[in-house]
Amino acid sequence: MNIIAMFISPLIALITGMFFLGIFRKIMARLQWRYGPPVIQPVIDVIRSFSQMSISHGSLFDFGIILSLTGSFVLILFLPIGELCPFTSGGLIAFIYLMLLDPLGMALSGAAAANPNSSIGISRKFLLSLAYEVPLLLVLLAVMTRYNTISLVEIVKIQASTGWAFGSWTLVLSGIAYFLILPAILGVRPFEVVKASQEISSGPIAEFGGKHLAFSTLQHALHMFVGLALFVDIFLGGWTLFGLLDPLSGTVWAVILGIVIFLLKMIVVLVIEIFINAVYPRYRIEQAMKYLWKWPTLISFIGLIIVVLAN
Amino acid sequence: MEELKKNILSIFNDLEIYIRKDNRMFINTKKETVLSLLSYFKNSGYDHLGLISCNDWIDDSKFELVYILSAYMANDEEFQEKEKRIIIIKTRIPREKAKFITVIDIFENAEPYERELHEMFGIKFEGHPRLTPLFLELKYETPPFRKDFDTEKYVENKFGKIPTIKERKNNQKNERT
Amino acid sequence: MDRNQIGKWLKNPGKMANKYSFHVVYFCTGCGIIEIPPSITTRWDAERFGIIPVATPRQANLFLITGYVSTKTLKAIIRTYEQMPEPKYTVAFGSCPINGGMYYDSYNTIKSLDKYIPVDGYIAGCMPRPEAIFIGVTHLWKLIDMDKADGYKRYREDYEFYRENQEQLFGELDWPPLFKNKSS
Repeated sequence: MNIIAMFISPLIALITGMFFLGIFRKIMARLQWRYGPPVIQPVIDVIRSFSQMSISHGSLFDFGIILSLTGSFVLILFLPIGELCPFTSGGLIAFIYLMLLDPLGMALSGAAAANPNSSIGISRKFLLSLAYEVPLLLVLLAVMTRYNTISLVEIVKIQASTGWAFGSWTLVLSGIAYFLILPAILGVRPFEVVKASQEISSGPIAEFGGKHLAFSTLQHALHMFVGLALFVDIFLGGWTLFGLLDPLSGTVWAVILGIVIFLLKMIVVLVIEIFINAVYPRYRIEQAMKYLWKWPTLISFIGLIIVVLAN
Repeated sequence: MEELKKNILSIFNDLEIYIRKDNRMFINTKKETVLSLLSYFKNSGYDHLGLISCNDWIDDSKFELVYILSAYMANDEEFQEKEKRIIIIKTRIPREKAKFITVIDIFENAEPYERELHEMFGIKFEGHPRLTPLFLELKYETPPFRKDFDTEKYVENKFGKIPTIKERKNNQKNERT
Repeated sequence: MDRNQIGKWLKNPGKMANKYSFHVVYFCTGCGIIEIPPSITTRWDAERFGIIPVATPRQANLFLITGYVSTKTLKAIIRTYEQMPEPKYTVAFGSCPINGGMYYDSYNTIKSLDKYIPVDGYIAGCMPRPEAIFIGVTHLWKLIDMDKADGYKRYREDYEFYRENQEQLFGELDWPPLFKNKSS
């Protein structure tokens, strides 16, 4: 079961990640009163990028983007999608640790590219990571303390019996704090400072052409998937539906229905984030850091204190 | 404007002044008095140099430099009084080996205008810190704004003589065979 | 549009993907810049064809030259064109790149763009409206289908002639040749 899950899980993540990018562009277009590209447009872009010859700036340049993509793939293996979770033993600690491979890989590529726009983009990426990691850690600490476990599968199973974490009075503040930093994790406006295409010629991916650009698009899709999946797993009950599916547990139908419910919840959160993206302009990096270290940190800190006192 | 005209005529001589439409003053002067005239105007409130332009009188073999001055809004009362008044100063310099003195000491924003005139007409301004090309990329024998610059002949010689790629390939093939 | 014919996709996915995802270099000079923002915003939406502007030439495969080209801009155009990865396509707007257009006797604009970089197609007009731009894009699709949009291949094969033309115009170029000379 685990071997099959190890292959199916990243495949589902990749396909739905590209689908989410397509939905993103389509809904943004419809909000702006125009037709948009077809929903499979990112797939066409990736195929076209693979068919172009790419220009390489050395072996470190090639290695960096591969490291970033591999980091995202490995992160998928620790994440339960539906009931498929190949590596159950790492849990949230492995998650926090592996989330740093993404900016690290981009930094290696950008440093080898020798473009000043890449350097500015990478410094912004690290600063943004630093800014949203602080409230994220406080939120995850609160969740881990409340449910007394670090395994994501256990957290979802407990929510099946006691209700969604977002609805319980102990964890609602942490949920609100995570919702406030979710645009920064996904890279949508107002926190779209890394890939700012008008200011710094699209940041770290300024020198990417051909297959490097294709890998970068795939990595962006996976990163978006991971950000949304974590929110749904921890706060919105994962793939369970208030315990209604318990009689089916153990069969193939449960697995398939679990995946479908999981993806539906992710799509709802994604559409809310698209609406936020359509309204706001872009922050400067110091404004983004000031915001992320002020209100979400404060709210998640209070949430942590409430959880510790209630236990 | 009439008082200004009287004041100027009392200080300087060798000028011709005529006023049109109540707010445009044209002054024709000799080239030696230009600097003192400009500093007089700057001290009496007209401190905005709008443009330095040049006309090419090829029959008289002279260049005519034109300085256009007006007033910034110094404070509100003065602006009401000097509303839309423009002073235009013209001098003539000889066309062969044209050179003149720079007015950067009086008006600092004259630097790009004089640079453009040097590039387009070939007038050399003594004392200018940077007389390098501003707009153009190629080098021209006669500066292009002069009236004896034949544009059609230049285009034919420069751009028309560059062959298309097919012609170059055919030439190379004919050379080989 | 044959974007939804699965058979063609399976036969030659590279060619179909090159058609339906044009990323345009946002290099805007000349008069035609005024026609690009209307055609990529809401009223004449270009994103439904798959056209989107990107920030760098490294990520692009379509180069739009909109209007007249002065000698100073031609240097920047050549350097940008050589940075794009292959396969790449060039489309010229207006009558100035064809034969000089309104500036046929100017000392500062070039009269025929095809002598310096290869051009795949021209869109007539002064400036063409966004509807004409879209018709031009659909013609470019047909050319790509028939394998006739081979500007980049011509640049690679005849590079020495292009380089001679560029050097005859500018005197001396301060970047090295892109392709090594083929020993004949």
